[in-house]
Amino acid sequence: MPAAQETIRQVHKIDVDQYKYGFETKIETEKAPKGLNEETIRFISERKRESGWMLEWRLQAYRRWLQMQEPRWARLSYTEINFQDYYYYAAPKSQIEPKSLDKVDPELLATYEKLGIPLKEQEILTGVRKQGERSELDSNIYASDRVAVDAVFDSVSVITTFKEELARAGVIFCSISEAVRKHSELVKKYLGSVVPIADNFYAALNSAVFTDGSFVYVPKNVRCPMELSTYFRINERNTGQFERTLIIADEGAYVSYLEGCTAPQRDENQLHAAVVELIALEDAEIKYSTVQNWYPGDKEGRGGIYNFVTKRGDCRGNNSKISWTQVETGSAITWKYPSCLLRGDNSRGHFYSIAVANGHQQIDSGTKMVHLGRNTSSRIISKGISAGFSENTYRGQVTAHRRAANARNFTQCDSLLIGNDCGAHTVPYIEAKNATAQFEHEATTSKISEDHLFYVMQRGIQEEEAIALIINGFVKEVIQELPMEFAVEAQKLIGISLEGSVG
Amino acid sequence: MTVSEKVALTQAETEIINNFIALKGKLPQRGLLLETARKAAMDAFYKHGLPSRRMENWHYTDMRTQLICIAPYSSKSGGALAAPLLSRSIVLGLINGQAVIPSHKAGKKMPATPFGALLANGEAELPQDFANDNVIAQLNTALVSDGWKLDFPENTSSDKIIELQNVQNGAQSHVRFPVIIGSNANVMIIERQIGNDEESFISSVSNLDISEGAQVSWIIIRTRGMTSTELNQFNARLGKNVALKLYIINAGSRFLRQEINVNLDGMGADFQLRGINLLSGKTHTDTTMVVRHLAKDTTSTEIIRNVAIDEARGVFQGMIRVAKEAQKTDASMICNSLILSDSAEFDTKPELEIFADDVACGHGATVAEIDRDQLFYLMARGIPEAQARAMLVKAFVGELIEGFDRKEMGEVLHILLDQWLQVHI
Repeated sequence: MPAAQETIRQVHKIDVDQYKYGFETKIETEKAPKGLNEETIRFISERKRESGWMLEWRLQAYRRWLQMQEPRWARLSYTEINFQDYYYYAAPKSQIEPKSLDKVDPELLATYEKLGIPLKEQEILTGVRKQGERSELDSNIYASDRVAVDAVFDSVSVITTFKEELARAGVIFCSISEAVRKHSELVKKYLGSVVPIADNFYAALNSAVFTDGSFVYVPKNVRCPMELSTYFRINERNTGQFERTLIIADEGAYVSYLEGCTAPQRDENQLHAAVVELIALEDAEIKYSTVQNWYPGDKEGRGGIYNFVTKRGDCRGNNSKISWTQVETGSAITWKYPSCLLRGDNSRGHFYSIAVANGHQQIDSGTKMVHLGRNTSSRIISKGISAGFSENTYRGQVTAHRRAANARNFTQCDSLLIGNDCGAHTVPYIEAKNATAQFEHEATTSKISEDHLFYVMQRGIQEEEAIALIINGFVKEVIQELPMEFAVEAQKLIGISLEGSVG
Repeated sequence: MTVSEKVALTQAETEIINNFIALKGKLPQRGLLLETARKAAMDAFYKHGLPSRRMENWHYTDMRTQLICIAPYSSKSGGALAAPLLSRSIVLGLINGQAVIPSHKAGKKMPATPFGALLANGEAELPQDFANDNVIAQLNTALVSDGWKLDFPENTSSDKIIELQNVQNGAQSHVRFPVIIGSNANVMIIERQIGNDEESFISSVSNLDISEGAQVSWIIIRTRGMTSTELNQFNARLGKNVALKLYIINAGSRFLRQEINVNLDGMGADFQLRGINLLSGKTHTDTTMVVRHLAKDTTSTEIIRNVAIDEARGVFQGMIRVAKEAQKTDASMICNSLILSDSAEFDTKPELEIFADDVACGHGATVAEIDRDQLFYLMARGIPEAQARAMLVKAFVGELIEGFDRKEMGEVLHILLDQWLQVHI
């Protein structure tokens, strides 16, 4: 059955030529010399005022990277990336590291204002300006007084808001560069412990040249008092952005974190290769949400961000929980599989995803749930929509190891095609290595529970309406996983129904 | 730089290449076309070697490590054909890779020719191009020595069932079954892969070309001994309104790769697959399927049920491809596995690749152990645990072989399942 009209309208509303964040900030920048070699890495490390161990770590990753080959197994086609053609470090001249607000270049503040991200705590707290006035763009979660923001501009963090308030609760929230200097014990202990330096080609590259990102540590039994978020902005031409994020929830802690990203409209393909590591110790919970809205390229498929991302959460302690929620609408190329290692007994991993591909976008995304501990459970709900000339692939792996007794997984992935020049693909890998594993993988709307349908129809509702009702319930389930304030952004997608799903 | 240039030949690869060299000029063939086909096949094998898990199609089956050595050719001819499963069927047999000409009259009336004879007089066709990971076509083309060619004319509607028997008692052989089915024909073919417990190495390729409106049932039953290695490829092209039902029951072999390639070429074509894998011992069984929906209004349903015990490892890779032209496709694929021992493993990869926007495709996969509630229910009624388990396993797989037009076929298959369950559960 073809897609519903309402859905088509909503998807067109976020088509590639509707990109609203494509403006450029004119600002003087300092860049590392073009290209990548050990000197580039020394340059970055020096600018970040890192100590020797960090430089060694980077160099080790670089040497491993030199020996690795670019992965080509994903369903993505793009011309070869010339890694020597990028600048690996670009920072506003005025801004080598985060500063206090009054010292930040007003041009930068204006950029974030324009993106709808106010960085002035006072204004946010006193509500000097109402949300609606703050930005000409759709306002969003960042405008809330319950959200702390780390604003990353090209290779540096500009400012981190609400640091003091968070510090009072014992929560460390700062840029990773700052953490490397000020909390080196924690960084040393956890960095690379989930995604080892040579985990894959892009992770190795990131380990060598990562420039900024966020660091979060929530101490024992602390429930982080506000939403944390990072806003990534690529601005400079020909640069690569290599964000590195590390989040640690100590025993019994809870944190919810949101990441957003945009970039100017350009004909070139800029590179974004991030690594995100989450560590949840005993009884801890981490909720990680992403709104990925990098520049997707134009109608003809020129330009757009190449987004190669390694995201992995480690449920290290018993009874820990990690959930990934992602709304993917941007990037020319997306290669991204937020995963959970369910190491602790009774640990849980969730993955909720909505991926919309328009124009010539190519998405190869999904998740990995690796069941290692006993009584672990995971849940995957993925919704992919392709329109225009795009290709949208769900690639997911669920593995239960020998000792993962009573592992449980439920997977549901649905795809929808709008038009006849795009493709939707599903590539699940389901590996059961013990007798007590219980996996369920299903797709398509026809899998709606007969009982539910019967129940609704019995009350006099026509079948089609009944299906719509049930599906909407399901869509909301994904949206609900996002932080509440963020629902505005997601609201756009809520109209997309699963009617016409092809499997 | 390709992988094969970097790595040394494995023992199995060396043995295969040596076999080809040793058999040069001794395999039946006539004419340049066959000679170049065989040479091209061996060149492709030499270039790419046995597939490793680095190839996506072989993700769970690394032949470089799975295939340690190859059973050698043997001159001793032994064994006999088995009694047919259904009394009325016509047996077309192969013993250790050599066609056995049926003696009774019915057989002579059949449009069947030994493939070896066709090779020898140059009337056989062999493929000339080989994908780098299509090792089965490479090996089979290079080394094929016999088989049966079947040719069913239009409107054939016989109550005679053909039973192809590939009996392999040790050693090595490579056979081929080209099958042409005329329009509106109605045929049922049983392919039995059987043999004793001696170590053997077999490749078997069936190519079906089915014309408009024909109805075909093809049943593959594999009960060969637990030391055999088999590479099997089932290829079919379905014309307009063709209905093909393929049943596969695997209950043997140490190593098996069963490939299924089905092209739904004509409007309204329908493909049904029912696969049962009964896996025991220390074995590896891989079913890899690609169904291509190439025309409008085509339908397919694939159901695979697996039972794994001991240290058995099973693999199902299924791919449904829906071309841009194939609007209104309705396809669904489901793979259910029952793992009954902690050392058994089942890996599933049910893929969809869709390029048309008005279709319904579903896929599903489940892995589970025996439902405790169901077990309790039966045991509460005084049924001993072992028997209750067997009943539940039987119900799980037995469902797939219901609904045969010919009742006796279903009965035979049920007996087969019961025998396996009795020994293993």
